[in-house]
Order: sequence, then C-alpha cells, then structure tokens
Amino acid sequence: MATASVDREPMALDALLGDRYTESDFERSFYRQDLAAVPSFLARLLANTEPAAVARPRTAEEVAALVRHAAARCLPIIPRAAATSTYWNSVPVRGGIVVDLNGLRGCLSLDEERLTVTVLPGTRWGELETWLGRRGCALRSYPTSAPSATVGGWISMEGYGIGSLKYGGLDRQVIRLEVVLPDGSLFEATAETNPPLSWFLAAEGTLGIITRVELAVRRQPAQTRHYLLAFPDMISLQSAIVDLAGTDPLPFLMHMSTVEHQRMLRRAGFEPPTDQPTLAVTFQGDADEVARAEALLRRAADRCGANELPADRAVEEWDNRFMALRLKRGGPTLLGAESWLPLDKLNAYNADVTQLAHRQRVNIATYGNVVSPTAASVMSLFAADESRSISYILALGLTNRLYDIALRHGGRPYGIGFWNTPYIRRAWSQALSAERRARKRQIDPLNITNPGKLYEPPAILWPPLFNAAMRMLAWMHRVTGRVS
Amino acid sequence: MKSFDTGLERESLICARCGYCQAVCPVFETLGWESTGPRGRMLIARAAAQGHVLSPDQAQRVYQCTLCGHCREVCSTRIDTVSIWAELRKRLAEQGHLSDRPLAALRDNLLAAGNITGDAAENRLLWQENLEPTQSFSSQLAGVEVVYFVGCVASLYPQVSAIPASLASLLRRADISFTTLGSGEKCCGFPLIAMGLPDEARRLAQENLNLVRALGARTLVMTCPTCYRTWKRVYPELLGEPLGVEVLHATEELVRLVKERRLVFKPVEGRVTYHDPCDLGRNGGLYDPPRLLIEAAPSVELVEMADSRGDAQCCGGGGNLESVDPELAAAIADRRLVQALDTGASTLITACQQCRRTLAAAARRQRVRLKVVDVVEFLAK
Repeated sequence: MATASVDREPMALDALLGDRYTESDFERSFYRQDLAAVPSFLARLLANTEPAAVARPRTAEEVAALVRHAAARCLPIIPRAAATSTYWNSVPVRGGIVVDLNGLRGCLSLDEERLTVTVLPGTRWGELETWLGRRGCALRSYPTSAPSATVGGWISMEGYGIGSLKYGGLDRQVIRLEVVLPDGSLFEATAETNPPLSWFLAAEGTLGIITRVELAVRRQPAQTRHYLLAFPDMISLQSAIVDLAGTDPLPFLMHMSTVEHQRMLRRAGFEPPTDQPTLAVTFQGDADEVARAEALLRRAADRCGANELPADRAVEEWDNRFMALRLKRGGPTLLGAESWLPLDKLNAYNADVTQLAHRQRVNIATYGNVVSPTAASVMSLFAADESRSISYILALGLTNRLYDIALRHGGRPYGIGFWNTPYIRRAWSQALSAERRARKRQIDPLNITNPGKLYEPPAILWPPLFNAAMRMLAWMHRVTGRVS
Repeated sequence: MKSFDTGLERESLICARCGYCQAVCPVFETLGWESTGPRGRMLIARAAAQGHVLSPDQAQRVYQCTLCGHCREVCSTRIDTVSIWAELRKRLAEQGHLSDRPLAALRDNLLAAGNITGDAAENRLLWQENLEPTQSFSSQLAGVEVVYFVGCVASLYPQVSAIPASLASLLRRADISFTTLGSGEKCCGFPLIAMGLPDEARRLAQENLNLVRALGARTLVMTCPTCYRTWKRVYPELLGEPLGVEVLHATEELVRLVKERRLVFKPVEGRVTYHDPCDLGRNGGLYDPPRLLIEAAPSVELVEMADSRGDAQCCGGGGNLESVDPELAAAIADRRLVQALDTGASTLITACQQCRRTLAAAARRQRVRLKVVDVVEFLAK
C-alpha cells in the first residue's frame, strides 16, 4: 500500500483548526441526528450519539491531522457533511470527533478530453451538475437528494439514483479517490491500487475519509424528453418497467408511483397527476436516440394498456424529482423502509405492503426509481407523529415488517448505517460479510473510523431480540390502532 | 406558490432535515456550524414549540439570519421558513432576549423617533437639499398622482441620498406629479417585525397609511424593496384591511413610464451586472422590471451573475443582521461581490439602498474597481 509519511505527533486540534474546532455543548448538540426522527430517550438507550467535539477541516492535510489525533487516542472519528441519510450513517454511536466535511467544497477541474471532473467531497451533487452544465457537460447519475447530498456522502453510500439505470452505479463512474486512511495517511485509490477504489464505495465512511474525487461525466445531452404513463394496475406497471429496463436505448430516469403514493400526496396537500399507478420516464440523447426510445415507450405502453398523461404533467414529475419528502406535510413524521428490489417482484412486494397497511390500518405509500436493468430502489413510507412517543415507538415496528417483506421477495435494505445492522445477515451472503469485515480489520485495526456501523449489529440490536421486539411493537400497533 | 403554513409548532415537526436549505444559506456558508443554517434553526424552533426558554446561544443563531428567503424557495417540505423565523423572533422577544443586544438600541430608535437611526424627523428631508432648484417639489402636497415613500435608509444615510434624488429626477422628466410624506414619514416597521415586535410595527403602519390616505394619491412607490414588500404584503394583514392604494416598487412605475414613452434613457457604454435584492426578488416576486429598465438604456451590456433571480445570493444587509453581527453581514456581502466581479462588469446595479450600501462597502473593503449603483441612479445620469 503506497502511503504518505505519517506524522505521529498529534497537534492540539484548536491550534490546528482555530475556531473551526469546538467542544461547546451547544454546537455539539446539533450533530446528534440525521433525517431519522429518533426519540431522545431511545437514542440514549441505544448509543452514545453525543460527539466529544466537532471539527471543520478545509483541506485533506487538516483531515489527516485530525485522523492522526484520533488514532493516537483511539477516539472514534465520524465523517459527516449533509447528513441526508436516515440510518445514522453519519451520527456518532460511540461518541468521538465528528469531522464536518462541508468545508471541503468546490469543483476543481474538468478534463474535457477525458470527460472527467475533479471535485471536493463536500460539494453538493446539484451544485456540481450546475457547474458542469455551464461547461457543456453533465453528470451521469446523481441522487434524488442532489440539492443537498454531497459527492463524498453518496459515494460512501450505495450511490444509485437518477441516471443509474442508463449509466450504471458509481463503480462505473468514480475513477480516482483521495482518502485519508485510519492511520492518518493520504492514499490515492484507483481500480489498480491495493486496496482498490471499489473498497471505499458504499463503505459508509468506515474505511477512511474521502477528500477528493475524480468522476467520469458526459457531454450534455442534445435532447431530453419526459413522459408520464398511467396504468390500470401494478401488474401492468411492473410489466412495462421490466420491458423498458431491457431496451436499448435505456431511459435516464424511470420513476414509479403506486396508487397509495398518489393518495398520500393528496393527503399532504398536493395534486397527484392521477389516482392510478404511474411511471415517469425520461429519455436523454441525440434526436435519433430519443426518437427510437419514444417508439419503444409507446409500444410498451400499448402492450400494457397504459395511458399517456399530458406533457406538462410529465415535466412536473421531472421537476419534482428531488421533492419526495413533500409527503411529510401529511405526517408530520414519516417512517418507512428503503429497499433494493428485483423488478419482477415489484407487484408482489406492493401487494404484501398493501396487505400490511390494511391490517395495520395505515396508508403505506410506495414509490421508487429503477436503478439497474434488474432492480429498483423502492421507498415505502407511512405517516406517524414523533411528538406522540408511545404510538410512534409502536409504529417503528412496521418498518421491520416492511424490510421483512422486501427480504422475502429477494430484496434487501438499501443502506446499512447503524439502524439496518440487524438485517446484515439476511441481506448479505456469509462470504460478502466475511470479506467486508476482513477489509475493515486490514485498513482500520483500531476500529476508529465511523465505528458501530455497517459490519455487525450492536448487542442491543442482536437480530433475534431485535426482530422479536419489532414484531411485538408492530402487533401492539395493530391492536392499539384497532382499539383507537 | 401555494402556502402551507400551519404555524411554528407543526412546521418545525414537518421539517425533514433534508438540508436543501443549508446548501443555499449565506449564513451557513459563512459560519459553517450546523447551528447556523436553517436546519439547525428549525431544531431551535422545535425547542421553542416544546415550550423551552431559549438560551442566549440559541437566540443568537435565530438573529443571525438575513431573512433572505432562499431556504423557503428550496424547502423540500414547502415550509414558509421566513414566517417561522419571524414567529421565532416574536417568541424570543417575549422571552426578553432583545434587551441585552444591539437590537435594543434599534428598537428604541424606532419607538422613540419612528426611524432606524433615531434622527430628528426633519432630517428625513435632508436628501432634498441636493436637488436642483428645477427638481424641487413640495412635500405632502395633496392631489398628486404618486406618493414616494422614501424609507429610512435613503432618507437618513448620506451614502445613498442620490437614490431618492435620482427617482425625483426621473419622475420629473416623465412629468409625473409626486410628493413624499415629508417629515411625517415613519419607518415602514419591518425592522420591528424582524425583531419580533409586530404590535409596535402596527402603530407605525397605521400612521403611514393615514398620511397616504390623506393625500389621496393613486399610487405609492418605493425605491426600498423592504418597504415595498412590507407595504404590499404585510400591511394588509397587519392592519386587517385593504390599503386602497396601488403599491409599486419604483422599477415597476418606471417600466410603465418607459412603455408609455414618457421616459427615454441616454446610451450607456459598458458591461453591467444586476444584483437581485432578496426583498424585491424572492420575497417580492419582481425580477424583470429592473432588468427591463437597464436594457432600456441603449448600448448597455447586461451580464447575469452565476446566481441570479430566485437563486441570487443575499448581500447580507437584511433581517437586522447588520445590527446583530456586522462582521457576518460584511462577510456575506464579500461573497456576493466575488460573483459580481466574475462577470467582468464595471458597474454593479441593484434596486435597493441597503444592497447598494453593503455591496459598495464590500467593494471598498476589497479595493476593487467596481461601481455600485441603484438602478434609478444608473438611469438618471
């Protein structure tokens, strides 16, 4: 492994970072959460989410000095930027130093011949897309939270979203990563290095801190066309999805909405395009490619009995592609599960979810994006109210039921963090689990970078106990729901 | 856009903590702590909703906001964040947080003198002393078409006294009979609303409206976007009645005069750029009138900044931030100035006396050759 020299003399962090380092109670209290609404007593019971300090480096060298400081003291170090996930991926669970990477923000250079961009990890995907657009280029894929999600953050997650169906996952787009390893050394990872770049993708910041990224991009497409199809039922929607995910040219975006999703939109105060299941499809490319794609779409729509909705509604769906959380207006809290699902199981999954919703007397809205020719990333959400502690805790049990349904249909949780560690043994093969743990042991023997995530559930989330407890909560939710 | 506002209690729960707001917040961009962005501020709002007495640290973060409205534009759950910040400041005022801050002096000036500086009321007329004899007019003249509501900043800060003088000159050229409220004009009340004192603002609003009604004018124009927005959007709600007078920003009135060919501008050579004031653009909904006016000057080349219209960065001068944290306000202005310089323009035009002040100060601080003017100054030459 090629590494830079390591300074073993840790500096005082306030001397290194000045007013970009704090141990203040007030500032630290803002770094105890991500998007997940977890009652504070439950958070305290399960983990130590209170960081001892927060540091805001601006350079890779400062990150390296921070990591060396932590390594010398065996302190956990937790990378964080936009904190837009829901599984505590960037929340401390064993205290330690939160490294806020928002200061490493900016687009550095565009290589127009090789079509690659070099960017700092705290850069927002939306900001990068705008920057590229001004130079005639575009991202190949980006997350559905692009306005806030950062480049380093999404790379550390699984990184499937808008554009992934056409251009593949981030493993086909990230060319080079600069990473500060857990010993504080700077390492440049590519496909050829040892360890290879692929180890750091979806590692959730547990193998080091990404400080620079080189990404493959594309020229801006000549044409973009949006379509919105309404289907008589989920079977025909699934059939069209399977058809279109196997075509050439592939859509840039395929976004599905169930009837329950349309209903929940209405309840939240928005006008859904229809009350039927829908598929929003966007094609990009040159005129010939888009024309061929349009013909394929119309054929699939005819075969599946779909109606094409007006073009302005299709554009509206596209414009709302980052606004999934507007459903929260019908909450005020949303609970749910995001799963990776085989395309041919979408209907069966939704049927089981609908049955669960019926039993539990809640509306569970399912929507998702097709992210590969065989799989979709699917979100199932239901309204809850975190200010009513008891009913909220009971409702948490339903998330487990949703993951059970996904796992039963060959799916798995999308993203692990802390909260989904009880599902690892069911989601990953034994070989994959062993391989990942071996990587962690090799690169981070002290287990200081983002500990408590991704590899093993903590004792308190021991799967048999966790599953039993969650089933009990779901059962109580059902009973109390009936009573009320 | 449809309003969903249900009040601080529920909206602070609805916040998804997605961070879209944080990505565009000028305060977060400058200070960097999670507590300094709208997402952090919403956690403070949640604490207030739960009935907690807020700490001085929490209060400081609530006041460290320009009320620019960028967070509202991008909110994934469509929260009217600016309303939440106003409500939060009201609760801070109720909890006594104003008393030990520089804001208290501003409040005292407004309550005692009816303006932001505490100047004597007659000083509101000082800007008129620079007018040519042919441009002079009588204040509080009944029966005129237009009343010009000058605003505190243009009336009382000599650095920007050319703004009212320029508008007076343009209205004269178009042969519009106009007047002002003279020394009777009071602050529009926005600074009081922004410090959580809407009841005190209501008194000033009523006094101003009474004066305007007494003059019987058809139209009220303002060069200050904050006064404009307060009159147009806040007064009817605050006073509980329609105003009965057309409220226009000066750029709207001038566009009308250009279209009627009552105003023609001389050619202006060179490249200029335009800064959208938050209270005129995002909070007031007016993006085109200033641009139409600039482009009505022959030969001028208008170049947009990287972030413009609804995406425009704030100048740092809003929301009483200059009183609370002048260094932060200056740092925000410095960031915006960089975008103006990147256009290669020799003149930065805005349509707000406060933006004109903060951006001109930034240009002086950074020792750059960039002329900063209000659109009426640009056109009156």
